[in-house]
Parts: sequence; structure tokens; C-alpha cells
Amino acid sequence: MLKTILAGLRARTARLVLSSIAIALGVAFVTGTLVLGDAVEEQTRDNFARSARNVDAAVHLSENSPDRDNGIPVDFLQKIRAATGVAGADSREFGSAALLGGDGKARNALVQPLPTTEALRDFNLRDGRFPAKADEAAVDTKTAQIAKLKVGDQVKLLDEDNAEHAFTVVGTYQQGAGSLSMSGSDHVVVSPEGLHTVIPKQRVYEIVAVAKDGVSQQQLVDTIKGVVGASYQVQTGEQLTQETLKQVGDAAAEIKTFLLAFAAISLVVAGMVIYNTFTILVAQRTKELALLRCVGAERGQVFRSVLAEAVFMGLAASVLGILGGLGVSAGLQALVGTVGGPSGDDVAIRLPISWVTIAAGFGVGVVVTVLSAVLPARRATKVAPVAALRSQPDSHDDVARTGKVRIVLAALIALAGGVAVYFGLRQEEEELAMFITGGATMVLLLAVLLLGPLYVGPVNRLFGKVLRGVPAKLASANAGRNPKRTAATTAALMIGVTIVAMVTVVAGSGRETMSKKVDERFPSDYEVSSSVYSQPLTSKFADELAKVRNVAQVAPQLTASTESPQLPYAYVTGYPADAIGSLVRAETTTGPLTPLKDGEIAMREKEAKEAGLSIGSSLKLGGKDFTVVSLLKDNSYGTGIVTLPSATALLPEAPKGYEKLLVKLAPGTDVATARADLERVIATSPVAVLNSAAETKAELNGQIDQILLFIWALVGLALVIALFGIANTLTLSVLERTRESALLRALGLTRGQLRQMLVVESILMALIGAVVGVVLGAGFGWLLVQAISNSELQISFSVPYGQIGIMLGLAVVAAVVAAALPARRAAKSSVVAGMAEA
Amino acid sequence: MSALVSEVGTRTAAAAHNLVKVYGKGDTAVRALDGIDVAFQAGRFTAIMGPSGSGKSTLMHCLAGLDTVDSGAIHIGQTEITKLNDKDLTKLRRDRVGFVFQAFNLLPTLTAEQNILLGLELAGRKPDQEWFDTIVTVLGLRDRLTHRPTELSGGQQQRVACARALVARPEVIFADEPTGNLDSRSGAEVLDFLRMSVRKLGQTVIMVTHDPVAASYADRVVLLADGRLAGEIHQPTTESVVNALTHLGA
Repeated sequence: MLKTILAGLRARTARLVLSSIAIALGVAFVTGTLVLGDAVEEQTRDNFARSARNVDAAVHLSENSPDRDNGIPVDFLQKIRAATGVAGADSREFGSAALLGGDGKARNALVQPLPTTEALRDFNLRDGRFPAKADEAAVDTKTAQIAKLKVGDQVKLLDEDNAEHAFTVVGTYQQGAGSLSMSGSDHVVVSPEGLHTVIPKQRVYEIVAVAKDGVSQQQLVDTIKGVVGASYQVQTGEQLTQETLKQVGDAAAEIKTFLLAFAAISLVVAGMVIYNTFTILVAQRTKELALLRCVGAERGQVFRSVLAEAVFMGLAASVLGILGGLGVSAGLQALVGTVGGPSGDDVAIRLPISWVTIAAGFGVGVVVTVLSAVLPARRATKVAPVAALRSQPDSHDDVARTGKVRIVLAALIALAGGVAVYFGLRQEEEELAMFITGGATMVLLLAVLLLGPLYVGPVNRLFGKVLRGVPAKLASANAGRNPKRTAATTAALMIGVTIVAMVTVVAGSGRETMSKKVDERFPSDYEVSSSVYSQPLTSKFADELAKVRNVAQVAPQLTASTESPQLPYAYVTGYPADAIGSLVRAETTTGPLTPLKDGEIAMREKEAKEAGLSIGSSLKLGGKDFTVVSLLKDNSYGTGIVTLPSATALLPEAPKGYEKLLVKLAPGTDVATARADLERVIATSPVAVLNSAAETKAELNGQIDQILLFIWALVGLALVIALFGIANTLTLSVLERTRESALLRALGLTRGQLRQMLVVESILMALIGAVVGVVLGAGFGWLLVQAISNSELQISFSVPYGQIGIMLGLAVVAAVVAAALPARRAAKSSVVAGMAEA
Repeated sequence: MSALVSEVGTRTAAAAHNLVKVYGKGDTAVRALDGIDVAFQAGRFTAIMGPSGSGKSTLMHCLAGLDTVDSGAIHIGQTEITKLNDKDLTKLRRDRVGFVFQAFNLLPTLTAEQNILLGLELAGRKPDQEWFDTIVTVLGLRDRLTHRPTELSGGQQQRVACARALVARPEVIFADEPTGNLDSRSGAEVLDFLRMSVRKLGQTVIMVTHDPVAASYADRVVLLADGRLAGEIHQPTTESVVNALTHLGA
């Protein structure tokens, strides 16, 4: 039997290659997604836990450490370095100093010493080199950009007594994301000696160490524990990484969840394409299988031969697919990196290969292939051999009546999905609502998939109505002849398009809402803020700004932290009374925002509720009584909004200035001119920074686009696979319909018309998948938007028609490409040979 | 009517001149058609007969423009089709030739009526409603028009194929073993109809068959053996055809 199988494989090489490619693509998709997921995780680890990179053991202060205020004793470092098993150790410390950069402005800078152990440097060098001498420094890339510094420039750091210390910039570096690097100030790295000239006494908050080869993290921790004693906390590098990631929040976990969900979807898509391919393949061989049985093969033998063939193909294709998946994920990372990695960092291409990835790849490739082969093979061997030999059972003969079971099952699943959506929508908590509703939409998608054979017919007829010409009509008839097959073929595409449409809609709605929010919340055209927290903008500067031509209004903003017996914490935002309602437009739930008088507060609704306050209640702030006059939906004003005099009165001493100035231009002012005018005044202050809502918006949109880009890239891949599925179905259909095509050719269908017929059929199938997908995706997107929206955050639903149009267009183009080969093949074959094929 | 038939009968509907068709190369080469000269008169029902491998099907495929020849010329009416390219050949088949095949004559996705009108639609021609009604009535397909092929019996399917061939009023109808898959009663119906379309409607039919009974419906039988013309019978009967075939085999 093995000989027969191998001979069969050899004889049908072309057909099998096609199917193998389909399997390999499916496997590539799954492994690609998984590898990408692992890569993103690794990237996130490096990005968000770079401070834990290469660390095998870390020493921290604990609750019962002596002399906590002075940090970890400096002599610990020498002791740890001298301990056995330690390959290198460094202390982590940082201090603040004012930095005078290329533009002459003073900025807050965090100064860190460069770890002497290379592995323990939590910075990635970009240009130049790290400082080696006491008068050398490196700055991080963002600092270099903002402070207009480059390698070779001079910078000055001011010590506590305002004495200047000059450094030469010898390099730039990138740091990972973390509480330090995100703190917004500038970053400078100098040699440890250099640091001590500016800041003589630093507080060491952490000592990190690398183990020698062959020493485990735990062994190292035990050794160091012996050195530092029990009053300090010693962690392994892995523990430190986990803890650091936890501090960053679950952003990393979310990305992973998202990618896992996508991998699951990719599994389904790949499974479908493979199943479809094999069903057709076996259906075509019914006759051959029947012949085998006629010459004496038992049903079991025939069955096993199909199985063995499937295993063989599955294995071979899986290997190809796993390799392809690696390539795909490398390509995607390169693509995302080129178009713009997160905050412009270099995105290194990572290809982590875990056993899970390999197992999933082979699992999909082999298991799905075998399952897909077994079901049709069972059907094939059930037919009496002679009957199977006599007539080629055209697949349209067994156009399966979609069973009642299917409908009942789909209805039950849809019901379950509907109930889940209902619960999801009722959740007030965003994340939970999103998870439940998101999961529920996937359940609904499953129901729709089950009903596929039912709806492809009507949808196809609907599209068919607009078609003119005989070839197009024939194509429509062909697309509708086997609803099960068409449904299975289009399902993969449908899933892909549903997901993109859904994400696009949700992201589009979010973006729309954000820019609307930005417009509403920041009616001011510009905001001028101080880049150094301790140096607010003076009222003199505010006056200067108000004098600039075309400036209609300048309103200062003052935040005052205070105490209240009714609230766990309290800080209010103060604006001049005439700016409230014009330059400040907070959204209220009850009570009018204006006019707001001294001693009154427009309070955040949530906190008012928690404190049991309502309109007219009295709130004690810093020993003074405030009357609650309205409730705010917005959470961007702290406890609430008060007038500027009220806020000033809450401060212990008269303020030196304001942290922010809101600027409104006269109506109809040219924004570019106004900006130039404003910048001249801004330049007179060492700390003032100009922001505008437009820039904020662009920044927000940029972040969303980044996510979308990634999703589009992944889905592009799904699309390729789905289209391969269409090409596959078409090729096999062409083979199946050889006699039909020959008949049509005999009756006067030209080669061109035959090709046209197949192209239209391909487009129809792609459109059925894509259109149903878009409709579902938009619907699901709407549900998700509803779910995420709650009383605090209202997201308005909007459909990005342009992007969805592009998607449909791409589907059509790809369908034409998919039909190219099968159409060529069909048109080339001879009429007589085709007619003779029984 | 008979005057009309004899008048068109003198005109040639299709002709082959010194036709050669070789399959394979070198030692394995088979001369399927080995220099055939034959003419088919318009308004006649001609049967092509011969043992298996005599080249009768190949001859028909070449005459109908479905297959190419290695040398020689074929005319349909005044057109030398051996000089046409694929596109013009397709058009010729669509506009001037009708087909009835042994099996698989109909597109499974179309109804009987759509199948009958398919050729006309491909040519972008409007069907002559009266003519269509006549054919459908004569063939007894009136109440079968909305059925799909899978819902029709074998005989009904062949009659739909006949209707399709006739509705466009082609110059020649080629029938390739049209009764090969039918029981004798259905076969007789189809043959009756083909003969009637020649006698009453003035159609030209060229039919390939290996069945002497079927051949006896024709006006003339052309006999082929080993790719060459091996005689002909005018006004054949089943006996005369069997006789002739026996001599061929001997």
C-alpha cells in the first residue's frame, strides 16, 4: 500500500504542491503570529524592563534597612564585587541637576552614572560612545533632539550652588521605557567620577550584579545575601524583571493577549483553508479510490492510504510553513520598524522560537490536514465502488442541504453570544466590558460562520443581479452552485475582514472621539507650559504674551494641592472667572459651569458621589468652605474647578507663577503667523514650551495609527492566505469542471470569456467574504464602542469609510490575482481533450 | 417541400480535403486521419460509421472546428476553417454550428430553457420566439423548461441538447453518439427528431455513431476504417449497415 501512496504522491505532484502551499501558508500564518507575539513580548521586556537586562541579582532597600534615607551603603558595592560568583556589579543612582543645552535654556536633567560593567548598562548606544572620562557625557536621543545637542557639543550641568560644570557630549543613547525615562526631564549619563563632581553625595537605590558563568541566579542571590545581611532585599534577575513589568502596568500583557487572540483566529483561518483544500482533493479522487477498491483494496486500506498521504503532506508543508512563518514575522517587524517604531526607536528584529510555536505549527499543519482528509475520505469510501466508478460524482450533486441541526446549533450559539453581549454592555468597567463583549462578538462570528452555506446563496444572487453578460452570469451561477464550498472558501476571508473592520471601526471611533474631546476640552488655540516643574511661568510673562498681536485672551492655570476632611486627597484647578466657560469648557452632568464665583467649586461627579455631596453641599478645602455648584464629568481638573483667587488662597504661600497659560487667538487669525509671533515671546523665557491642540491631536492619532498599521499588516497576511484559498478552490473547480468548460468552449465561449467567467467568480467569492466581513466588523465594532463607553467616557461611533473602501478594493484586486492562474489553465486546455475527460 | 430539399441538397454544407491528423510522434505515431476526402451535402442527414479507432470521432471534431488538423483543408459552407485562429473558430462554432454530444451536454447550473438559449446568448442574438416555441413543442419540453439537468431524464437531457442545437438555426449540426447513453426508446425519439429536423426543417445533420440502428435513420452513411474512407451507403437500412460493417471488420 505504501508503494501505491508514494506513487500517487508522485503522480499528482502539481495538484499536491498547490494543496501543500495552502497548508504551508496556514502554518506560516500561525507560527508567524506566535513568533511575532513572543518577539513583541521580548521587545516589551527589553523596553519596559531594560533596567533588569542581564541582571542576575539585585539588592534593594527593605522596610527594616537601617538608614533608609541615605540609601544602600556605598561600601556594599565593593563587597559584592569581591564576592565569589560575581562577574560584575554596579550601583544604580540618579540625581537632578539643571542642564544648559545648545538652545541656552535651562532644563531639569536626570543625571545617572554609567555602569562600569558593560552588561549592566541599561542604555543602548546610538551614536558615538559612552563617557569614559570625568568631563564626558552622553545624552539620550530625545534630549539630544529637544535640547538640540549632538556629539561634540558642550553641555553644562549646574550643581546645587549654581556652579557650572562643563561636559563634552561624546554619544547619544536610547533608554528603555520606565518610570525614570518617562519622567519627561532630560537624561544625561556621565562617568561615576563625573557624577560626583556635580553631585557629591548620591543616594544608591539599587545594586545590580551579573553572575559568572555556571552560577545560577539563585546561587548569586544567596551569596549576596550573605554579604549584605538580612536587612536588605535581594532578588533574582527574573523576579526583578517581573516586578518592573508589573510597575509599568499590564500594557505588555495586553499586547500579548491581543496577539494570542489573533493567533487563535489565524488557527481557524488556516484550518479552514486546509480543510477546504483537502475536501476538494479527496472529492476529486473518489474515482481513483473506487478503482482501488474494485481491484481488491479494503475500505480500511483505502482510508489509511488517504490518511498516510495527509500525514506526509502535512509534515512536509509544516516544515515549510514554520520557516515561512519566521520570515513573515521578520518581514512584519521590519515593516513596522520602517514605517515608524514606537517613539522612533530602532526596532530590532527578533525571532524567538519557542516549543509552543513549533508545536502549534505542526499541530495545525498535520492535525488539521489529517482531519480535513479523513472526513471526505470517509464519505468517499462509503460509496459502492462500482457506483463511484461509473459516474464522476460532481460535487454539485451533493450540494448538501444545510441541515436543521446546523440552524439550531447556530441559533443556540447566537443566543449565547447575544446574552454575553448583553452582559458585556452592562459592565461599567471598561476593560471587563471590552473583554466580555469582544469574546461575545467572536461567538456571534462563529454562529455566522455556521450559517455560511445558508447566506452565501442569497448574497451571491444579490451580487449576481448587477452582473451583465453571459460569462458573468455563468460565474454567478458557478459561485452559487455549492454553497458549502463557497461558504468555506469565503469564510477565511470573512474572518480576516471582520477583525480588521472591527478594529478599524473601534480605533476610528476612538480617534474621532479623542479629537473631538481635544477640541472641546481645549478650546484654547495654544497652551504655553513650563518645562521645569519648579520654575513656573511668571505673571509678567503672561502679560507679555497677552500683548502679542492677534492674541484675544490669555488665561493662567493654577493647580493647588490641599487637604479636605471629606476627601482622601484634594487638588483643585483654578482659572480666572472670565476664562471659565470660554477657554475652559469642562463637561458637566448637573448644574451650570458658569458663572463660577469665588468660594464655589465645580466638582468632579465621581468624587462628589463618593463623599456624599451634591449641588448646594458644602466642601471643606484647606480650612475654607466651598459650595458645590455643578458636577463635572471630566476627570482632568482634579477635585474640581475653582476661580483663580480661590485657588491662590489655598496655597500656603503666594505662587511664583503659573504652570500653564491658555491662549486664545482672535477669530480668523492665521495660525502659522500667530505661532511665529508667539514663539518670539516664548524664546524670551528659558522654560516656556508652546503646545497646541493640533499637535496633541496629531500625537494621539499617531499612536492609534501605529496600532492600526500593525493590525493591517497581520490582516494583510490573513488576506493573502484567504486568497490563496480562493485560488485553490478555483483551481480545483476548474479541474472539476473541465468537461463543462469544454462544452462552453464548443458552444462558442471564447477563451477570453472563459477567463472572464473565472475572474468574476473569484471576485464574487472575495466580495461575499469581504462584504459580510465588513458588515459584521462594523456591527461588532459598534457593540465594542458601546461596551467601552461608560458614563465617564463616551465614545461616538464612526465608520472610517475610506479605509473600509480600500479594504474592499484590495479584496477585489487580490481576487483577480487569485483567479489568474486557474483561468489561464482553464483557457489553455483543449476542447476535445476536455470533452473526453469522463 | 421535397423540391426545396433536393435543391439545397446539391449544395455542400461541410467538406474535408486530403485531411491528415497524426497523434504521437516517431514509432508511436498513429495516423488517425490518413488523407480523407469527403463532402456533406446541405439538408441531408449523414452518419459517420466505423469500428473503434477508425477516426470517426476525430473526423467530426475536426470538421466542427473543435480540433486542429496536421494537413488538408476543411470547409464549412464557403469558409475554410482550417485557416481560422482560435477566436474566429469559436465564433464560427457559436454562430454557424450546432452540437449534440453523447453525454454532458448541459450546464448543471442552468435551467433547461437557459441551456437551450445559451448559444444565442453567447452570440448576443435574440431568440426567435416562434421558432423557440415550435422546437420546444415538437420536442415535448414545454413543461420541463424550468428544470435543471439533474431533474431531467437522460432522454429529456438529450432533447434539450437537440433544442439548443436547433434554436440558432446553424448551418450544420454535429451529433457525437447522441444516443450512446440512452435506452432504445429514448434513443429512437432523439433520432426521429434529428431526421425530422432534416426532412421538414431543412437542417443539415452529421452524426457519428457505432449503432447500425441509429445509422439507419440517416440519408447516407459514410464508412471509415483506419483513418480512411471505406465506402458509403445511400438510404441505409440496419441490415445494409451491419453488412457493410461486417465486411469492414473482415
